[in-house]
Amino acid sequence: MLLLPKFDYYEPKELTEACRLLSETGSKAKIIAGGTDILVNMKKGLISPKVLVSLGRISRLSEVERMNKSITIGSHLIIAKLAEFDLIRKRFSILASAAKVLGSPLVRNRATIGGNIVTARPAADLPPVLMALGAKVKLKSRRSEREVALDDFFIGPGATVIKPDEILTRVIIPETPSYTGGHYIKLGHRKALEIAIVAVASKITLNKPDGVIKDAKIVLSAVAPKAVHAKSAEEVLIGEKPSAKLFEEAASLAMNDCKPITDIRGGVDYRQAMVEILTRRTLSFAWKEAKKGKKQ
Amino acid sequence: MKQFSVINTRLPRIDAHAKVTGDAQYAADLSMPNMLYGALLQSPFAHAKILNIDISKTKRLVGVKDIITAKEAGLIKYGVSPARYDETLFCDKKVRYIGDEIAAVAAVDIETALEAVSLIKVDYEPLPVILNVFDAIKEGAPAIHDDFPNNICAEVHQEFGNVEEGFKQSDYIRTDKFVNKKQDGAFLEPQACIAVYDLNENLTLYTSTQSPHYVQRTVAMVLNIPIGKIRVVQPYVGGGFGPKAAANSIELSACLLSKRTGRPVKMGFTREQVFLHSRGRHQFYHELTTGVKKDGTIVALKNTCYLDGGAYASFGIATVYYAGSLLGGPYKLANMKYDGYRVYTNKPACGAQRGHGGVVARAAWEQQLDIIAEELGMDPIEFRLKNIMQRGDVTCNDLNMSSLGMRESLEAVRDGSGWVRKKGKLPKGKGIGVACGFFVSGAGYPIYRSETFHSTAMIKLSEDGGTVDLFTAAAEIGQGSDTILSMIAAEALGVRFEDVKIHSGNTDFGVDLGAYSSRQTLMSGHAVKQAAENVKQQVLEVLSKKLNTPLEDMDIKDGLIIFKKGPVDCSSLKASYIKEHRGWAKFPTESQLTFQEAARIAYLEKGVIVGSGAYKPGELGGKYKGAAVGTSPAYGCSAQIVEVTVDMETGEVTVDNMTDAHDCGLAINRMNVEGQMQGSLSMGLGEALFEEVKFDKKGKIENPTLGEYRIPTALDMPNVNTIIIESNEPNGPFGAKEVGEGAIMPTIPAILNAIYDATGVRIKELPVTAERIYHALKEKEKGKE
Amino acid sequence: MKQIIILTVNNKVYEIAVAPNRTLTQVLREDLNLTGTKEGCGIGDCGACAVIMDGRPVNSCLVLAVQANGSDITTIEGIAEREKLHPVQQAFVEHGAIQCGFCTSGMIISAKSLLDKKPKPSELEIREAISGNLCRCTGYQKIVEAIMDASQKMKK
Repeated sequence: MLLLPKFDYYEPKELTEACRLLSETGSKAKIIAGGTDILVNMKKGLISPKVLVSLGRISRLSEVERMNKSITIGSHLIIAKLAEFDLIRKRFSILASAAKVLGSPLVRNRATIGGNIVTARPAADLPPVLMALGAKVKLKSRRSEREVALDDFFIGPGATVIKPDEILTRVIIPETPSYTGGHYIKLGHRKALEIAIVAVASKITLNKPDGVIKDAKIVLSAVAPKAVHAKSAEEVLIGEKPSAKLFEEAASLAMNDCKPITDIRGGVDYRQAMVEILTRRTLSFAWKEAKKGKKQ
Repeated sequence: MKQFSVINTRLPRIDAHAKVTGDAQYAADLSMPNMLYGALLQSPFAHAKILNIDISKTKRLVGVKDIITAKEAGLIKYGVSPARYDETLFCDKKVRYIGDEIAAVAAVDIETALEAVSLIKVDYEPLPVILNVFDAIKEGAPAIHDDFPNNICAEVHQEFGNVEEGFKQSDYIRTDKFVNKKQDGAFLEPQACIAVYDLNENLTLYTSTQSPHYVQRTVAMVLNIPIGKIRVVQPYVGGGFGPKAAANSIELSACLLSKRTGRPVKMGFTREQVFLHSRGRHQFYHELTTGVKKDGTIVALKNTCYLDGGAYASFGIATVYYAGSLLGGPYKLANMKYDGYRVYTNKPACGAQRGHGGVVARAAWEQQLDIIAEELGMDPIEFRLKNIMQRGDVTCNDLNMSSLGMRESLEAVRDGSGWVRKKGKLPKGKGIGVACGFFVSGAGYPIYRSETFHSTAMIKLSEDGGTVDLFTAAAEIGQGSDTILSMIAAEALGVRFEDVKIHSGNTDFGVDLGAYSSRQTLMSGHAVKQAAENVKQQVLEVLSKKLNTPLEDMDIKDGLIIFKKGPVDCSSLKASYIKEHRGWAKFPTESQLTFQEAARIAYLEKGVIVGSGAYKPGELGGKYKGAAVGTSPAYGCSAQIVEVTVDMETGEVTVDNMTDAHDCGLAINRMNVEGQMQGSLSMGLGEALFEEVKFDKKGKIENPTLGEYRIPTALDMPNVNTIIIESNEPNGPFGAKEVGEGAIMPTIPAILNAIYDATGVRIKELPVTAERIYHALKEKEKGKE
Repeated sequence: MKQIIILTVNNKVYEIAVAPNRTLTQVLREDLNLTGTKEGCGIGDCGACAVIMDGRPVNSCLVLAVQANGSDITTIEGIAEREKLHPVQQAFVEHGAIQCGFCTSGMIISAKSLLDKKPKPSELEIREAISGNLCRCTGYQKIVEAIMDASQKMKK
């Protein structure tokens, strides 16, 4: 049986209390949310924090709120609920579909949206779709609060801009304009319980149903130290009328927007090739959605 | 009148209720008063000299009760086959793989035990690490075992007929290479055990094993305890598939620690330790050359195989034989030559896993046969049917197909899958493939040389005659032997299934070699049937005397006494039972004389009615060296057709449909047979598409988790059109033979052949990942340009 | 340092002193002696340790007991009503959806949770619902058939 190392455990009911605890314990402490990542690492002996601060009793962190031009999701919302809320399913379907392929149902009932972000795994499922959606995260410490665009949040595997005394409290996703469509494809070995070999999230907005592309986001996952935008591919799409040929061009550019490595899940060449295919496929699907006038 | 009352039905498993309620206790669920917890210290180096072991810090840790190393445990060599005893409980002078055992401790709790092993200081001098078969056999490679300077653990050279002559007669000859990857059993229950050494110097070991008998023998030998003082007991076991078929380091350690401390000692593997202990499927490098005539007659097969065995022999000496012998059928083949080499490397030891030794050879050959059929312009099924063996055929290596529904199986899957409609007519990216296979129904010989019975059984009737206690040492590991043996006992004795109470998996109940090589139904089944018949005879003898009716005019069926020549007046016997039975529950109310009444009367006459049975195979074929591996009293066989969809851009494979027909002789329990078939196909699918134990350059397993070592999920495995073929095996109890392993044989090649049909590429390296298909498709495109 | 927690397990309330580093699996198995919950991997890969926690099936090996404080837990021991098996359990028995039994507890937990939420699931929905529960023995077919059958019987 795998055992957990010893630690002290706190579960404040208020966010301010959590921030205080974190600032007082400093680098000895770690936040525990769903625990599906941190407890595994602790059992494997990779980390052994002296203090765990749970966010589980801070009820506000599990709420979804609709604001003026955005929705904000509490960082402790479990992944399963992302796919259950009508609001998310209908208006941010790309997020719901990424949530549905993360781990397994048993994992999704514990893992949280915040946890999937702060652990900064290069193959995590939610960061690419959230980046495609232009999401920001709210970081709170005892003394300050700031918002950081998810695009600027990740540094590399396991590394982010979050400071040791900060807590990721909310994820803010702007409402998308009309004629927006999106799609997420995750390529894994098995059909469940899988970590992506490559994943791509795309989102495009048209100026009108048969019009040109007003905005495009393509985010590639598991092919760089962090999820990355396929910048040149995004650029080539803007202002153009969508077509299979255009998407092929974008897909081919996307291949050079990433820097995959060979690891136990896949090789460099394959990953690069799959970026092209998944980019093309997600764009085609996104276009179909966008034409319907659906908001993404 | 229907032929059988109990067998050949779909009765629910005897352990089903215990398992759906969580009542069933597995080794890790057990605990004992005053119990200590053990932990192992395992090597962090794949190959190194041990310079010094310092236990001084561990000794000082509060709560540590005992520390054992090679010094305390001694250096008695053990293993699976006496010809290759190459393990000691703990390493003495060197370690041979990451995970090799160095010491064990017992402490008051698991936390202390784990801390204790972390305090043992070992000085190592690293040695060059050998991780590949071909590096291991190179001239000048360092020897992993001193006794095997060229690292060849075992080699086999066999020729049946004359292969060179066969090739001369052939119109078409081709050679293909094929390789798989090291596999893990990946049973859900990690091994665990509790050893209890009592004040009378009796040792009881409760353990998650497939073979209480082999564990008992090994513990007796390594710890030098008389065999009669050792009792090995199986709690419920959470799967085995081969790797649990021999004694392991925690079983031996727990026994020794308990003996030394006088307290029960519990030990268990973590999932990572399951991967380190391994004993799963070898990596096989096959080179096959097959010669055929223009008309499709298979003439000759030359098979060369190198097996990556890891650091110890385990079952490997049998594996290297099976990798050759199991190609002797199910096709008529007059000339076969086999050269096999099992090689030591600095990796966890490989052993037996479902389809022992034959799975990869079968995959390689069935794919090659598909290629040949295409080259000859023949339909793959027609080609196979042309060469197929049938009942009574004997292979060139002397395997006697005393029953063989191979043709029937192949025709059944052809007809059940819509083959004729689909083959060659599916759109690109969709494919259909076929393959066949067969397997032993119990290894014909024990793994140690002996005249021993393979299985014994004992039946005792309760004094009221209402309960049939069946005692067997057979091992229920999930495959269903408790249910099958109870059904056989009920059928043979003529009682109802619910009258039988089985007591199994305990060395006190007799000798049974255990659940491996698909032996329990046939071998233990025979012993149980015999014991039941013996008891039946005893009851009827008494009855014959009491009723003055000839024995041969009576029978027992469905719990009732049958008088074949018309009614016999039993009123006096029934009346006496009523008198005897006053105040007891379960009163027979039937107007006929019941077995219960008859058994009570027999008890009053003779005392406790006990019957026994014992089985060992009769004379088996083959006088050549190695004939002991592959010969069996019977052979099960299977044909499969698989349909796949391949994403031609990403290479992803989806297995859409599977059709499987298996000849199990006679299905004792049809639901269990289907379960074995479906489970076999699932394991085959995993091995074909996902499964691979990966190593880094230092010999460390990179994926010792069920997250990164991928067995199929419910979304990967399709439904199987499951067809049972019954051929009535003359050497099997009620005509029954194996299903547990034969059914995995065709799965991998059927998938490979379907992938080819879908894509036009042949994959000769497992697992067939999307990436591998992608690259093969790219290569093919290049070739066209 | 140990903390006092309150767990409602199978409708029974327990007050337990636990160290923060003990998982829900450990507390159920070792403190409450509910050994029907199995541990196959300890890191959320296999689903053998699944229990229903506040209405949702979770891997109890990745839940700290202290995190479960105040929760309502159902383990395999709490699925049957007294002597009467739950329809899912009954269907597992009748359909041969069991072999070694080590995944069975978690499988039934996932299946029951599904049927509680969605009484008439499709085959794909069943397969998705048990996709975090690995089974090495059965190939899943009889498990899926059993859950389908249970869903039909429960509707009646």
